[in-house]
Amino acid sequence: MFPTVKKAFGILVMLFLIAPLAAILPLAFTSSALLTYPVPEWSMRWLTELVTEPVWRRSIANSLIIGGGTTVLATTLGTLAALGLRRYSSLFAGVLKTFFLLPMVVPAVVLGVGMQVFFVHVGIANSYLGVIVAHTVIAMPFVYVSVSGSLAGIDPRVELAAASLGASPSTVLRTTTLPLSLSGILSGAVMAFATSLDEVILTLFIAGPHQRTLARQMFSTIRENVSPAIAAAAFVFIVGTILVACLIMLVRMRTGGAMQKSVGPGIS
Amino acid sequence: MTARLGPHLKASALVLPLVLFLALFFVWPIIAMLKQSVSDPVVHNTLSQTSAIAAQWNGKAPVPAALQDALVADIRATTDRQEMGAVVRRLNSAKSGFRTLMRKTRRAIRKTDGPINLGEVDKRWNEVAWWHTIAQASSPYTDRYLLAALDYGRDKHNQIVALPEDASANRTILARTFVISLSVMLSCLAIGLPFAMVIASTSGWLRNVLLAAVLLPLWTSLLVRTTAWFIILQNNGLINSALQALGITDQPIPLIFERTGVIIAMTHVLLPFMVLPIYSVLLSMPGNLMQAASSLGAHPIVAFLKVMLPLSARGIASGSLLVFMSSIGYYITPALIGGPSDQMISSVIAFYATESANWGMAGALGLVLLSITLLLYVVYGRLSAEKKGVA
Amino acid sequence: MTEQPYIEFRKVSKVFGSLTVVDHLDLTINKGEFVSLLGPSGSGKTTLLMMLAGFEDPTAGDILLGGSVLNRTPPYKRNMGVVFQNYALFPHLSVAENIAFPLKRRGVAKAEIAERVNRVLEMVQLPDQSEKLPSQLSGGQQQRVALARTLVFEPNVVLMDEPLGALDKNLREQMQYDIRRLHRDLGLTIVFVTHDQSEALTMSDRIAVFNHGKIEQIGTPQDIYDRPNTHFVAEFIGETNLIPVKYREGDHSRCSVTTKTGKDLEVTSPVTLFRGTEVLLSLRPEHIELGDSAEGLENAMPARISDVVYQGDHLRADIEVDGTKLVARLGRHLPPHDPGDEVFIGFRPQNARVILP
Ligand SMILES: Nc1ncnc2c1ncn2[C@@H]1O[C@H](COP(=O)(O)OP(=O)(O)OP(=O)(O)O)[C@@H](O)[C@H]1O
Ligand SMILES: [Mg+2]
Repeated sequence: MFPTVKKAFGILVMLFLIAPLAAILPLAFTSSALLTYPVPEWSMRWLTELVTEPVWRRSIANSLIIGGGTTVLATTLGTLAALGLRRYSSLFAGVLKTFFLLPMVVPAVVLGVGMQVFFVHVGIANSYLGVIVAHTVIAMPFVYVSVSGSLAGIDPRVELAAASLGASPSTVLRTTTLPLSLSGILSGAVMAFATSLDEVILTLFIAGPHQRTLARQMFSTIRENVSPAIAAAAFVFIVGTILVACLIMLVRMRTGGAMQKSVGPGIS
Repeated sequence: MTARLGPHLKASALVLPLVLFLALFFVWPIIAMLKQSVSDPVVHNTLSQTSAIAAQWNGKAPVPAALQDALVADIRATTDRQEMGAVVRRLNSAKSGFRTLMRKTRRAIRKTDGPINLGEVDKRWNEVAWWHTIAQASSPYTDRYLLAALDYGRDKHNQIVALPEDASANRTILARTFVISLSVMLSCLAIGLPFAMVIASTSGWLRNVLLAAVLLPLWTSLLVRTTAWFIILQNNGLINSALQALGITDQPIPLIFERTGVIIAMTHVLLPFMVLPIYSVLLSMPGNLMQAASSLGAHPIVAFLKVMLPLSARGIASGSLLVFMSSIGYYITPALIGGPSDQMISSVIAFYATESANWGMAGALGLVLLSITLLLYVVYGRLSAEKKGVA
Repeated sequence: MTEQPYIEFRKVSKVFGSLTVVDHLDLTINKGEFVSLLGPSGSGKTTLLMMLAGFEDPTAGDILLGGSVLNRTPPYKRNMGVVFQNYALFPHLSVAENIAFPLKRRGVAKAEIAERVNRVLEMVQLPDQSEKLPSQLSGGQQQRVALARTLVFEPNVVLMDEPLGALDKNLREQMQYDIRRLHRDLGLTIVFVTHDQSEALTMSDRIAVFNHGKIEQIGTPQDIYDRPNTHFVAEFIGETNLIPVKYREGDHSRCSVTTKTGKDLEVTSPVTLFRGTEVLLSLRPEHIELGDSAEGLENAMPARISDVVYQGDHLRADIEVDGTKLVARLGRHLPPHDPGDEVFIGFRPQNARVILP
């Protein structure tokens, strides 16, 4: 309609969306102790600090432990439930589905307060188990949505065909259903991991000093003593995100995206 | 029969673990939080005899002797200093002066094992008002946190009244939360609606690039995005350096720890939630509607107002609700980018819970936030259910 | 024809909620027979097939295979090959892996699997495609893979649910031919669901015409086409003219009827009826003969041509006889007729059939 205005506006918004992410990356390689431009000299100083400084090292290790635990737990629970509910469309099933998505809606701070009280009560406050459980609660909906999406994309006749060709129900699951929903399960797992990695609020409420995660460490670093180490940590995050996105795309392509419609991440 | 029941059993067995997990670690914590907001066990548990008698007292003077004796007995029986400290704090928070009164009374009780006339220890014990406070505090349940969350309290006649302005600021915070969320929603709409239309009007790789620009931030850590804005908005950050280099200002404009910064950063974070629902509605519209409208003689702006806007109303509504609902519970971005006067309700809840160990207040404010969010979610659910019905 | 039927449906019903989809249905199929299920959409063909394959349980009645009741046997133990309309190939497995699937389930040794896969791929004329994924094949090739996957384990019965529905005309005819050939060469028992009457007529040993969950008529293609027993079958299979007449008299199959205008016609009837019973006369368009005079025509009647349309290999004429509109299919070598021409029509008694309305 107004081509120039449209183009200019589109570019401006894209800039607004992308530029902040781009702006943070170079600062991971600054030699200065300040998080500012211009960068006086390039250096690996801060990335090195991330792996040598015990606080950062510890927090990265914690993030990996907790992220790993969360991924396993959330993916297992979410996938099982999605498998169980896939053929149901009753009112009760609808209520259950809504219930499974609710943790995405409830404000994290509210959940945090409740978990703090409850976890102390049952004795899993300040423990890895506690943090993993808490992260699983909010990471599971992503798995559920992603897996049920890919299950819904499976043509039921393919599974009937497997049965008619002699596959028992458990063989159908193993040879047909799971391979065909693999991309959904993997996307779900990746999202669960990413959710855990990025989680600050619940961690703030229920983790003890020994379970300080990378995100939690970044949060307090920004609050207390800003240093380019956070840019370095952010760099790690962004590179990780891009790697993971590529991974999902690859899996998607390999498992024949054409046969499946899917809900979840990725540019589709 | 087994053929009918078998699949259902199997399905239940698959769904059950998650249901149990959520019941235990999601529902129960929320219930625990809600319970905190109405429970007031300190006085009830520690001054148990007093509480039992106070529950029967009609509240009229003179104060029954039995009540006085019970209080003395309770104080004598409580040897744990921390426990007594909690009682004193609880009473003092309801009526200031209790701290000194209790200290004096306890000292007098410790001196003797015999009966004590409280009125002689301190004249205040002759006043009914102090006993009222104890009586009110001795119930295991209370509505004081819930009332306080909305800046109400009870006066000495036990009537609900608004608290004095300086006593509490929760309503201010709630209003501020709404104002910030609304601003974020409107700025997301102002940018997101036209941008969604731009995306919908393109095709091929260009559309993919534009969509990627929306999705990439969505897939980047919230913390990273907030950090990025922190760096950009600083006094010596990119924006201020640019403005100064261009000679537009010679002083850095305060952006960080300011409302503007919070709204900019939150808009960036939540923009995809506005763009995507609108975009998906626009996609389901025939692409030549605008042309059709103009061929029928409508000026582009009229065509937009009369055709495009009403048709995308549903997308706009779900996007706006989604953004508003998300921003209302925001914590990280205001905490890192905002100043003290930009803190939203989540920050206050976090403060009560982690810094002042006031679970009651944290729970009550949590209940307020939870109710608002769930209400919005129900509306949102209705909206998207209708959408499915139409499509 | 063997004495004992191979597949037998005994009073089989299927009810979904309040909808009776298959209604007390009896059907027997012999070993090596090619039976088509033909009927309008929603008449219960797929449901019947799904019950035979074991994907749906009958609400009532029994299904027997080789004399033993199948009702409780799960699909994976029935040894029936199903070919679905959209092929239902495993998208994540290569052509060879798709075909090997049923053999692996049956614990066939590796070497034998490879050999049998190759053999069946040749049989369906698809060598050299074994490493491709289904998405890399054309529709016809996918259809062949689906067929190969079903044939490779030598099932008791092959069930096909509109297997050719998604193919274009040429490919369809090629596949019809191929399936016929495989049926003959391998002595398969095939139950074939289709919408397409010409497909059913060309391929089947017998056709079962479905309507509302019941079989209206079952018989050889000639039976069904030339001797429809009911109004529904006559109208559903091919095109026909239905003329209301009254039964007059007759013995065995030959009889006479009276038209509204009182003219007596010699026709055939599957049953003997009381005089005066109101019936319909089914007369296929291609059985109507045309002449300038009544001479040489059986059952001759004066008629008027109201329209003639050129259809390539034939002419289609709308004809009015005694106020009744008929459609006739005429050879294109006939002398040209124009609308308004007065002519005579006739038909052979064996080509006109009495049907109960
Ligand atoms: N699982 C089911 N639940 C409820 N109704 C069903 C179910 N499956 C089939 N039906 C109904 O049963 C009727 C017969 O379906 P069926 O698929 O057997 O018809 P069909 O003869 O194969 O039709 P088509 O030629 O369109 O494939 C239809 O009205 C259909 O809606
Ligand atoms: Mg069907």
